[in-house]
Amino acid sequence: MRQAARATARLALAAGLALFSLLLITVLEITVIGAIAVVGIWLLPETVLLIRRIAGAKRGMVAAWTGQTIPEAYQPITGPLRGRLRTAVRDPGTFTDLRWMAAYYAYGWLGYLALPLWIAGLPADGVWCGLLGRRPVVLPLICRLADLDARLSVALLAPSPKARLTERVEQLTQTRAGAIAAHSAELRRIERDLHDGAQARLVALSMRIGLAKRAYDHDPQAARRLLDEAQGHAEEALAELRHVVRGIQPPILTDRGLAGAVRALAASSGLAVTVRADDLDEGPRAPAAVEAAAYFVVAEALTNAAKHSGSSRAEVGVTRTRAGLRVLVRDEGTGGAETAGGDAGGTGLPGMRRRVAALDGTFTVTSPAGGPTVIEAELPCV
Amino acid sequence: MRVVVAEDNALLREGLVLLLTSAGHEVVAVAAAEPEILPALLAHRPDIAVLDVRMPPGFRDEGLRAALAARERIPGLPVLVLSQYVEESYAAELIGGGASGIGYLLKDRVGRIEEFLDALSRVAAGGTALDPEVVTELLTRRRSTPLDSLTPREREVLALMAQGHDNTTIASALVITERAVSKHIGNVFLKLGLPPTDIGHRRVLAVLAYLNNAANLNND
Repeated sequence: MRQAARATARLALAAGLALFSLLLITVLEITVIGAIAVVGIWLLPETVLLIRRIAGAKRGMVAAWTGQTIPEAYQPITGPLRGRLRTAVRDPGTFTDLRWMAAYYAYGWLGYLALPLWIAGLPADGVWCGLLGRRPVVLPLICRLADLDARLSVALLAPSPKARLTERVEQLTQTRAGAIAAHSAELRRIERDLHDGAQARLVALSMRIGLAKRAYDHDPQAARRLLDEAQGHAEEALAELRHVVRGIQPPILTDRGLAGAVRALAASSGLAVTVRADDLDEGPRAPAAVEAAAYFVVAEALTNAAKHSGSSRAEVGVTRTRAGLRVLVRDEGTGGAETAGGDAGGTGLPGMRRRVAALDGTFTVTSPAGGPTVIEAELPCV
Repeated sequence: MRVVVAEDNALLREGLVLLLTSAGHEVVAVAAAEPEILPALLAHRPDIAVLDVRMPPGFRDEGLRAALAARERIPGLPVLVLSQYVEESYAAELIGGGASGIGYLLKDRVGRIEEFLDALSRVAAGGTALDPEVVTELLTRRRSTPLDSLTPREREVLALMAQGHDNTTIASALVITERAVSKHIGNVFLKLGLPPTDIGHRRVLAVLAYLNNAANLNND
C-alpha cells in the first residue's frame, strides 16, 4: 500500500513533467521558427539549456525511484553566441534529450493509468486480501508501472558512448589547457627568479671584481673590500640558484626516488611521521612530473601539519594503484584546514590542488573541525 | 696531507686540486666517476677523501654511497663530502656510523678558503664538519622541544658546536671568552638533558643525536 503510494507520487510527478514538456513544444516551435528567421537564433542555446534542465529533473526522479543515478554527459554551453550555438547543436547530449522527449510524449502518460488502478484496486485488493487473506494484486501493478517508466527513462536518457567520449575529450582539453597554463606560469617564475636573483648577483659580482682590479695597485685595502663583497655576491647567487633548482625538481627526488625523498621529508618535518611507501621501490618509476607533484603534495601537507594542526604525529602513504599513484597524508590535529589554509595564494591547498589537477588527477581534503585532517591525491600515470 | 679527490666536473676538480696543492697538501689521486673511487682509496690509503655526492654513471648519490662503502672497508677513513645542496637525511646517514672524521659541506663553502681548509684538517684529525645549513635545518624544524627554552646565545653556541667547532673557535666566532662558552655549553647540555662531555666529536655526536631524536626517530 505504502509502496503503491510512493509509486503513485512518482508517477504523478512524471505525469506533471510530461504535461510540462508538452508546453515545451510551443517553446521549441518558437525557437525553430525564430532560428529560421535568424532574429531568434539566440533562443536556441537557451532552449537547449532548458531541455537539459527538464531531462535533469527526470534523471533525478528516476534516481530517487530506482536508487540508481543516470550519468550525464553534456558539453558546457559558454562563450560567445557562435560558440554556444555550435555546442548546442553539435552536443550529442542534445540529440539524446530530444529523442527522450519525443518518446516521453508517448510513455509520459503511464502515470495517469495509476488513477483508475487506484479506483479499481482499493476495493478489489481490499476484499481480496482483507477478507480472503491473499496477496494484493492490483496495487502492485502501480509499482510495476513506475518501474516501467523508470526503465524506459534509463534507456533513453543514458548518454551514448559518443557523448561520454565527447565529455571526456572536453575534460581532457580543459586539464591540458590547465597544464599548459601552469607550465607557462612556472617557466615565467623561473625566468624571473633567475633574472632578479642569480643573474643580478653575478653582474654585481663581475662589477666588484672589475673595480677591485682597478684599485689593486693604488688602494689594496679597497681592492680587498671589493673582493670580499664579490665573494658575498657569489655565495648569494649560489644560494639563489639552489633555491631555484629545488623549485624545479627537488634534487633528492633524482637521487633517491620518490620513496626515499618522502622518507627524507618525513625525517625533516619535525613531526613523528609514519611512512608507508614500500611498494614504490619495485618496478619502474613514475614519470618525473608525477613524482614531483606527489613530492610537492607530501611536502606541503607536512608543512601545514607541522605549522597549523597542533599535532605532533602524521601518517604518509604513497602507494601504486592500477592507474597511477595515490598519496595520502593524515594528521591527528585540530582540523579545519579547508577554511583556515585557503588564503595562502600560490602555495598551500590551492597550490596542491592546481598541481594535481594539471596532471588530470583528483585532490580531496577532509578536515572537519576537531580533526583529523586527511589530504588525498590520485595521480594517473598516463 | 695526502688527499684523494672525487669530483666529476673538470672545472671544479682542477679548482680543488689547485686549492689543495697551494695549501701544501698532496693530491695522490683523482676520481672522475664512481667506479674509480674505491680502488683509488684502497690503493692510496689517503689521510682524507674529498668526495662529490653526485657522480657518474648515475648522477644520483654515488659519492655518498662510495663514502659509506669506503668507511666500511677502511674503518675511520676521514671523508669530506661536498654537494651542490645539503640534505638532512644524508647528514644522518653519514654520521650514522659515527661522526668521527666526517664532513658534509656545501660546495659553496670551498670559496671561503681558510674556513674550508680548517674544516678539512678538522675532519682529517677525526673531528666533524657539518654545513651550517644542515645545522640550521636541524635547529629550526623542531617544534615545542626543550630547544625552545634555550636563549639566543645558547642556540648560537649549540649551532656552532653541532657544526663541529671547538670552544676556542666558538669563542672567537661569537667574540666572547672561552669561559663564557663553557658556561653556555653547560647550560645547553643541562637544558637538553645530555650528559656533560667535552671531548670534540663525542660532544658533536651527542648534540646531533639529540637533534635527530628530538622528533623523527619514529620513521620506519
